[in-house]
Amino acid sequence: MAAAQGTYATQRWGYYFYLIPGVLGFLLVVLIPQVSNFVLSFTTWKGVGLPRWVGMQNYQRLITDDQFWGSMIHTLLFIISMTIIPVIIGLVLAALLFDYIRDQWGEQVSSLFRAGFYLPQILPITTAGVLWGWILSPIGVVNIILKGIGLAPLAQNWVGDATWALPSVSFMIVWIQVGYCLVVFMSGLSRIDPSLYEAAELDGAGWWQRLTAITIPMLAPEIFVVVLTTLIAALKVFAPIFVLTAGGPDNATLVPSYLTYYHFFTTQRVGYAASIAVVQMALTVVLAIIFLRFQAQQQAKE
Amino acid sequence: MADAALSFSETSTKAVAAPRSRARRGAMRWVVLAILVVLLLLTLFPFLLALINAVKDGVDYSKGGPLSIPTRIDMGSLSSFWNTSDFSRKLLNSVIISVCVAVFGALLSLFNAYAIGIGKVRGSRVILVVLLLGIMVPQESIIYPLYYMAKATGLYDTQLAVIIIFAVLQSAFGTYLLSSVLGSFPREIIEAAEIDGATSWQILWSVIVPVLRPTLMVLGTFFFIWTWNEFLIPLVMLVSNNNQTVSVAMGLTRGQNLSDPTLQAAASLLGIAPTIVFFLIFQRTLTRGVAVGAVK
Amino acid sequence: MLKLSRLALAASLSTMLLAGVAHAQSKTFNIWWFEDPTSSENIAWTKALDEFKTKHPDVTVNFQLKTFQQLQASGSMILNSDQAPDVLEYNKGNATAGLVASQGLLTNLDDYVTKEGWDKILTPGDLTLSKYDDKGIYGSGHVFGISVYGEYVSCFYNVDMFEKAGLKVPTTIDEWVADMEAFKKQGVTPLALGAIDTSGQHLLASLAYTKADDTWIQNYQGLKAPLDGAPYLYAAQTLSDWVSKGYINKDSTGMKDPDAALLFTSGKAPMYVSGTWNLGNFASTIKDFKWSQFVIPTTKYSVGSTGNLWVVPKGSKNADLAAEWISLTLSPKYQTELANDGGVAIAADPATITNPVGKNAASVFKQIADKNGLGFYPDWPVPGYYDVLNQKDTGLFQGTLTPQQFVDQIKKVYDDAQSNQ
Repeated sequence: MAAAQGTYATQRWGYYFYLIPGVLGFLLVVLIPQVSNFVLSFTTWKGVGLPRWVGMQNYQRLITDDQFWGSMIHTLLFIISMTIIPVIIGLVLAALLFDYIRDQWGEQVSSLFRAGFYLPQILPITTAGVLWGWILSPIGVVNIILKGIGLAPLAQNWVGDATWALPSVSFMIVWIQVGYCLVVFMSGLSRIDPSLYEAAELDGAGWWQRLTAITIPMLAPEIFVVVLTTLIAALKVFAPIFVLTAGGPDNATLVPSYLTYYHFFTTQRVGYAASIAVVQMALTVVLAIIFLRFQAQQQAKE
Repeated sequence: MADAALSFSETSTKAVAAPRSRARRGAMRWVVLAILVVLLLLTLFPFLLALINAVKDGVDYSKGGPLSIPTRIDMGSLSSFWNTSDFSRKLLNSVIISVCVAVFGALLSLFNAYAIGIGKVRGSRVILVVLLLGIMVPQESIIYPLYYMAKATGLYDTQLAVIIIFAVLQSAFGTYLLSSVLGSFPREIIEAAEIDGATSWQILWSVIVPVLRPTLMVLGTFFFIWTWNEFLIPLVMLVSNNNQTVSVAMGLTRGQNLSDPTLQAAASLLGIAPTIVFFLIFQRTLTRGVAVGAVK
Repeated sequence: MLKLSRLALAASLSTMLLAGVAHAQSKTFNIWWFEDPTSSENIAWTKALDEFKTKHPDVTVNFQLKTFQQLQASGSMILNSDQAPDVLEYNKGNATAGLVASQGLLTNLDDYVTKEGWDKILTPGDLTLSKYDDKGIYGSGHVFGISVYGEYVSCFYNVDMFEKAGLKVPTTIDEWVADMEAFKKQGVTPLALGAIDTSGQHLLASLAYTKADDTWIQNYQGLKAPLDGAPYLYAAQTLSDWVSKGYINKDSTGMKDPDAALLFTSGKAPMYVSGTWNLGNFASTIKDFKWSQFVIPTTKYSVGSTGNLWVVPKGSKNADLAAEWISLTLSPKYQTELANDGGVAIAADPATITNPVGKNAASVFKQIADKNGLGFYPDWPVPGYYDVLNQKDTGLFQGTLTPQQFVDQIKKVYDDAQSNQ
C-alpha cells in the first residue's frame, strides 16, 4: 500500500505535464488576447496605426450609452429562447422519443426524429437567416398561410415591427437550439437503468411523474452542462441577430456582441468596442461562477 | 464539479437500454406519432425552401418569389456557385480544418481532463474554471490581437492559425465535459494499473481511452459541426481564396448592394450537404454517447 | 555510398536554387475585385484581364474574386499585411478608402494620373472621391484610387403599368405624388420599399437632396458643421405623409431590398427607388413587362457617386502594371464594353454604345455628373451611420418616430461624430 501511495504521489506530480499543451494554447488564444482587449479598452484606436491612451473615457461613455443598456436587457431576454425554452422542449422531446417512440415504433423511427430535429444545428447561420427571412417577411410564408386560412388580422410585420422582432428572432433561435439539447439529453437517457422506470410503473406512476421523479434527477449532469453552455451562448449571441434583423428595428434586437462587432469593424472605434466586450465578458464570468457554485451545491446534496 | 457524474453505467448491456416492450396501445401511439411528424415537418420546412429555390431560375424567382414552385429545374445557380466559389476547394479546406480541430480539440480536452479528473492535480478546480473562460470569450474581442499575433508569427492567412484557435476554443467545452466524466472514473482500476507498474501515459492510452471512446467521438462530432459553421474568425484570418472555408464562401452571395436569392439558396444547399453526410455517418455515436459497456 | 547521396543532395539543392532564382525573375501580378459574378463590371473586367494577360506573357497574373463581406470586415487588416495584392477594388469614401489612405497603406497615384492621362478622361468631379487628405477626408490631397464606373439612385418604373393608367413620367415631385395617387385609387400600392435596407435611406436622401444646395452637401459630406436638419425634416415629413396615404407599404419595415425588388419585378408595385446595381438583374430577369428608370425630380443633387476605386496597396511591387491595368479599364474600348454589358460607364462615348440599358445609364450619369450633382450617399459622413439611418428609418416608417424625432435622433449621432473628429 505504501509503495502504491508513493508511486501515486510521484505520478501525481507528473500529471501536470498533461496540462502543458492546453495551458499553452489557452495563454496564446484566450489569455493574451483578452488582456490585450482589456488594455485596448482604455484607448482610442482605429485598428491600424497606434492606439491612443484615454483612460476611463470609454467606460464613462458606456454608462450613458442607451444602446449599450438596451443590448444588455435584450441579451437577458434571449436567455429565454436560447436556454430555458430549448431545454424544456429538449427534455420533453427526449423523454418522448426515447421512451414512448422507441417502445411503440422502434429504434429506427426514434433515431430518424432525432436526426431531423438536430438538422437545424448543422445549418450555417447565414443560411438560416436567409431562409427565415423568407418565412418571416411581410410577404413571406407565415403571413401567406395566415391570410390563406382566414386569420389575416394576425399577420404581422414579424421582423420589422419592434414588438415582434425580438420574439421572431427568438423563434428562430429555439428552432436552432432544440436539437443540441435533444441530442445531449437522449445520450444521457441511455445510461439510466430501465429497471427504475419499471419499478415506478409498477408503483402506478404516470408518464409525467416518471419524468419529474426519475428522468430529470438522473439527467442532472447533462442538464447542468446544457444549461451552462446555452446560458453562455445566450450572452454571446450574435449571428442570428446579425443575419435576421441587424439589431433592428431601431435597435429593438440589439445585443452586446452585435454592438461590439459594429464598433470593431464598422465604425472602427476599437477601444470603445473593447470596453463593451470587457463588460460583457465580466457579466458572463460572474453568471457562470454563480451557476457553477449552484451546480456544485446541488451535487453535494446527492 | 469534478464529481459531476456524467458517469458510466456499471450495469453494462442492460443499461444501454433496449426498448421496454409494452403492449402496443392503439390510438394513442398514432396520435403522438402524428404530432411528432407535424413538428418534424415544420422543423424541416426551411430546408425545403432552400431546395426549391436552389433549382429555380432567376426569371421564375423574379416573378413568383421564394414560395413559388419552379416551372423548370434549373441547375444554373448550383453550378454557378460551385464554379465561382471554387467550391470543391472550399469543401476540402472546411473538411481539413474541421477534422483537425475535432482531433486536436479532443486531444487537448483529453489531456486537460486527464490531469484534472484522474491526476487531480493541485488547483484542479481553479484550472477548470480558468480554462472554461475559453467558452465565454466573445470572438469579436480577440480577433484584433489574434490577427497581430498571426501576422507576427507568419501564420496570417494560414489554415494552421485557424486550426489552433478553434482547437483551443472548443477544448474549453471538451475539458469541462471530459473532466466531469473522468472525475468519477473508478479509482481501483487506475491504482491496479499503477501497481502493475504502468506509467500515466500507458494508463491513459490503454485504460482510459478505450472506455472513453464513445464520449470522445461525440466530442469530435460536435467540434466538427461547430467549427464547420464558424465564419467570423475564418473570414478575418483566411485571406487567400484558396485557403477559405465554405462558410466564408457564402459571402459571395451577398454583394455590396445586392444579394442573389437563388444563388443563396444554392449556396446553402451545397453548404449543408457535407454536414448532413457527416452527421448521418456519426449519428450512431451520438446515441451511445456516454453510456458505455462493462467496466472490467 | 555516402559520396553518392551527397552528390544527389548537392544536385537537388542546386536545381532548387536555380529554379528558385528563375522563378524569382518571373513576375506575379495579383489583382482582386469583388463585383457580383453576373454584374456588368465583372463581365467587362474579365475580358479586360484576358487582354492584359496576352499583353504580358511573362507575368503570372493571379486573379481572386473576393467578397464584399470580407473586404468590409477586414479590408484594413489585409492592406496592413503582406497578403495585400498589387491592385484591388476598394470601397470609396472616408470610412473605407479614406481611412486606409490616412494610415499610409495606399500608394500615391498623383504621378500616374498625369503620366497615364487619367485627368484627360475623367472630370475633376469624377476625381473628387479619388483624393484623400492626411486625415482621410475626401476631396483634397493626393489621388489614392480611380473609379471607372458610376452609380446613382433613380426610380425604376413599370412602363406598361404607367401606360395602362395613362400616366406620364413625372418631372416634379408634385407630378410624382399625383402619379402615386392615381395608382392608389386603382388599389395598387405605388412604391415598393425595403425599409430595413438601402432603398429606405436612399429614398429619404433623394428627397432630402432635392432641398439641398452646394453648401449643405459640402458641409454634410465633409462633416464640417453640425447637421442642418431642414432637408431631412422635409424628407421625413414627406415620407411620413406618403406612408399614411398608403403610397408606401406599411410592411416595408420588415422588408429588405430583395423583397422590395421582388414586388417590382413581379409586377405588383409600379415603382421602386433604388440604385443602378439593379440594372443587371432587372435586365436579365424581367421578361413580362417593359421597364425603365426616371431621375427623381431635383434641382441639382441626386444620390449617387463614382464607383468603387482601383487602389494600389503600399507594398505593391508592380505599381506600373497596376497603373496600366487601371488605364485599360478606363480605355474607350472597355468603357464601351462596360456599357454594352449594362453597366454605368463613367467615360464612354454614347455613340458607341449599343445596349439601350447601358446607353441610358451612361447618359443619365453624365447628366448628373456634369452639373456636379452627385450628392454621394447619406451614410458616408459618419462611420456606422448606415446602421443608424436604417434603424431610425424603420422607426419613421413604422410611425414610432415622428419626423421631428427622427431628425433629432440622426442629428444627435451626426453632431456627436462631428464634434469628436
